[in-house]
Formats: sequence, structure tokens, C-alpha cells
Amino acid sequence: MTRLLDLRSISAAYDRVRALQDVSLHVDKGEVIALIGANGAGKSTILRAITGLIRPVAGEIHLESERIDGLRPDQIVRRNVAMVPEGRRIYPLMTVKENLLMGAYKRSDKAGILQDLERLFVRFPRLKERLSQSAGSLSGGEQQMVAIGRALMARPTLLLLDEPSLGLAPQVVREIARTIRDLNREEGMSIILVEQNSRMALKISNRAYGLSTGKIVISGISRDLLSDDRIREIYLGGAV
Amino acid sequence: MTQALINGLVLGANYALMALGLTLIFALMGVLNFAHGQLYVLGGFVTYYVFTVMGLPFVVAVLASIVVLAIVGFLFDALFFRRVQQRSAREESSMLLAAGLALLLESLILLGFGEKQRGVALSVSGVYQIFDAYVPASRVVVFVVAMLAVVLFILFMRHTKPGRVLRAIAQDRDVTALQGVNIALYSGVGFAIGSALAGLAGSLLVTIFAVNSGMGTAISIKAFIMVMLGGAGIVSGAIVGAFVLGMVEALGYAFLPGSVTYLVIFVGLILFLVIRPNGIMGKPWG
Ligand SMILES: Nc1ncnc2c1ncn2[C@@H]1O[C@H](COP(=O)(O)OP(=O)(O)OP(=O)(O)O)[C@@H](O)[C@H]1O
Ligand SMILES: [Mg+2]
Repeated sequence: MTRLLDLRSISAAYDRVRALQDVSLHVDKGEVIALIGANGAGKSTILRAITGLIRPVAGEIHLESERIDGLRPDQIVRRNVAMVPEGRRIYPLMTVKENLLMGAYKRSDKAGILQDLERLFVRFPRLKERLSQSAGSLSGGEQQMVAIGRALMARPTLLLLDEPSLGLAPQVVREIARTIRDLNREEGMSIILVEQNSRMALKISNRAYGLSTGKIVISGISRDLLSDDRIREIYLGGAV
Repeated sequence: MTQALINGLVLGANYALMALGLTLIFALMGVLNFAHGQLYVLGGFVTYYVFTVMGLPFVVAVLASIVVLAIVGFLFDALFFRRVQQRSAREESSMLLAAGLALLLESLILLGFGEKQRGVALSVSGVYQIFDAYVPASRVVVFVVAMLAVVLFILFMRHTKPGRVLRAIAQDRDVTALQGVNIALYSGVGFAIGSALAGLAGSLLVTIFAVNSGMGTAISIKAFIMVMLGGAGIVSGAIVGAFVLGMVEALGYAFLPGSVTYLVIFVGLILFLVIRPNGIMGKPWG
């Protein structure tokens, strides 16, 4: 397999608060990677470092053999990376359509954009009905679809998802899990999935990394980790 | 009475340009641009210089004001605001910077154009009679151009890709960067547009009220009043606030002794903000 993303000994901090310490992880093309860990473990910070929203104080990040730490977020996402941020962060005062078009900001192929909109409506038919409504008036699940749709409109090869299941009803969580699997299987998209819902994340990922207070404390094949005692203890809430 | 109302409309349309510029910069940078009145004054002086001193057509003078102010606004952002905001996330830093820039610009205007009060006599032949009021054609021109600019600005923000990007930045900077937008460049563009609107207002109103280098702060305060009245960061709010202020001011000047008008306006504003602290349109930017 070919290496898509490589984090080498990344450390990051907010002001003087250390958030990541010596984090190394990688994503191969076509992989779904899960990042799991408790509140404040540093999961979002890893995604922020990859996308350039925070600059690592040490270490290197390579994307397809190019070093990207130090680049601005807009420069990094132009290398076909897209992120669905924690808490959705849709534009509440814009219509659903405007939100989706913002996702296609860096593209100029009008026909391709329209085609991708249509494909998105097949995936999320509800977005089509809501197209001209302000995104802020949508339900939580629909907003998450807008957030994912916005990211997909960028046609990423690497998709970063930060807690897409947060605060959503179980059947919506299932729908999103299915979407993630489809994107990976049908389109070969590489995905990093950050989740507190560790069980869901381990079920749909190939490999996983477990974080604790800014450090990677465990990593391996997701299927194995699901039955790993340490993982059960820390991330799956004890014996099941 | 009709005369005062018409003056109020002409004022309101031009104030709307200022308020829109101020509210755009506020929404993008999160800072009240204390130098906004100085930008207006500079717009007036550029028009005075190009039209009266150089003797070029009024259209050219207006365009010159727009272009010069757009450049000044872009440089304000690129040289000052962007750098300060990179180093300090505190709002006070940007506010102090804006206040400093107001003083700087005021001094530069004084150096460049002198301390004399300057006005522009725009002679467009014709007088319109509207009910019992007589309106010189030049005022009609000033009103129509200002309204046209307001409408163009709204269409630009609503229906073009750059307009959409500016609204996106106002709602969520980081997330907009994640869509591939070069935030620094667009902040500069937003600042340029906001400044150009202030400059256009100055350029048009200098045909009615003369400008002098020291009046910028008073103009800034007017612009703040409009934005507070309407609601900060809201397009419709800026327009409503501008017309309310324009009307009240025109009526006040017509029926109250000179300096009382602004006393009444301030007292009224304070009472109003006690009742509706978020302004008439009181919602965030849309
Ligand atoms: N903007 C910030 N300023 C200061 N400290 C921050 C900031 N964002 C995060 N932190 C701190 O950095 C550490 C890692 O935070 P991060 O958001 O990466 O955790 P997380 O694993 O995503 O947690 P959660 O599950 O709550 O989203 C935490 O200790 C957090 O308090
Ligand atoms: Mg997080």
C-alpha cells in the first residue's frame, strides 16, 4: 500500500498548554483510520495540525511525500484534504445550497460541481428538499449531512471527520456510519474518523489509534482492538 | 417638512454606504473601525482635488475616491490589522490599532490637503419640484448614485461567489479557511470594499457638506450610531440605522436649534439601546 499521510513525532500546544506529545501515525491510501480517546485527549488537535489550523511545535507532517506542516489551511486543503469539523460548524445563516457551494469553493468545473450535487442528493435525499432553507434551521442530523456534504463537494482523497455522531439519534448515527463505509469502499476515499463512540469507530475502521492526554497509548487493527481487554477497559466502558 | 424628509432620504442613502462599510469590516475582522470617518473625509478630499483642483469630470472624481480608498483599505489590512491580529487575539489590540490609524490618517490628510474646509459645487442643471419642496438635480444625482451603490453591494454580497465567501468568513473564519479560502487575501478585499463605500459616501456628500481634516471622528461616531441602531454586523440593520439617523438628523436641523439635534439623538439612542440592546434588526450577520 502507498503511504498517504504521515505524522512524525508531532507535538502541539495551545499557548503554553501541551496538547500533543510525540504523536506518530500514518494513513495508507484507501484506509479508514479511527482515532479514539476521552475528552481532551487531543483527537481534534491532531486533525487541526493536519489541516494547518494549528502549527506543530515539533515534528513533521507529510502528505503524499510532500511536507505540509507550516502551510496555511487553504494551501493544505487544496491538496485534496477535507474536514468535517467537530460540532458540524455549518454556516447557519446560509442556505443549504450555499453551504454546499462553499465546499466546492476551490473548484471551477461548473458541470462537475452540479454533477456532484446530484450525487450528493442521491446519498442524502433530505438535503435536496432543504436546499433553499437556512442551514441553521435544520435538525442536528440534517446539519451533519450538510457538514459532510460540504466536505464531499471538495472531492477529497483524504477526509477527516471529527465526531460526526456527536449528539445524534441512533438511526442517524447508523446512516452516517454507512456513508463513511460507502465512501471508502465505493470511492476509495481515505478517512480519519475521530470518535468518542469507540465501538462504532472500531467497527467501521481498518486500524485505530488510542489517545490519552496527548499521547498515543495503543494502536493496531481495529478488529483486534474491539476484543482487546485494555481497549475495553479504557474506551468501551468496561466489560461488555 | 417635505424638504426635510427629502434631505433625510439623501443623507440616509449616503449614510447607508458608510454603515454598510463599517458593518462589513466589523463582521470580517471583529473590530469597530475607528478610522471609518477619516476614510470618509479622505474620500471627500480626493473628489475635491480631482474635480475642483484638477478640473476633471465629477464621475472621474468619484471613481478616483473609490479606487484610492479601496487601496488605502487594503493596505490598512495588509500592513496593520493582519499583523496585529496574528500576534494578538485580544480585541483591545485591534481597537487600539484602529484608533491609532484614525489619528495617523487624520494627520496625513492634514499634511496632504491642508487645514482648510473644502466643498465641491456640483452644478447639474435643473430643479425638481416634489410637492412643496424644491430639489436641485445635483442632490438627485447624489441620492441615486448612493442608492445604486447600496443595491449593487447587496447584490454582490447575496449573489456572487466572492460575496458568499465574505459572508462565510464573517460566520466562521477557520472553517472558511478549510474550504480553501485564503483568509488574508479576502480580509484585505473586504476591508477595501468597506473603505471604498466610506470613500464613496464622502465623495458624494462633499457636494452638500464641506469636509475638513478634523471632522473624521465625528463622522465615525455617526457611523457607530447607525450600526448600533440597526444591529452590528447586519446588512439590513446598517441600512435601517442609516435612514433612521438621516431622517432624524434632517428633521432635527429643520425644526430644532442647531446643536440640540445630536443631544436629542444621543439621549434617544441610549434609551433605545436600553430597550433593544441588539438594535432594530438585532440578529447576527447574515
Ligand atoms: N483553543 C484551545 N485553547 C487552549 N487549549 C485548548 C484549546 N483547544 C483544546 N485545548 C486543550 O488541548 C487538549 C486537547 O484538546 P482536543 O480538543 O484536541 O481534545 P479532543 O480529544 O478532541 O477532546 P473532545 O473529545 O472533547 O473533543 C485539551 O486539554 C484541551 O483542553
Ligand atoms: Mg475534539
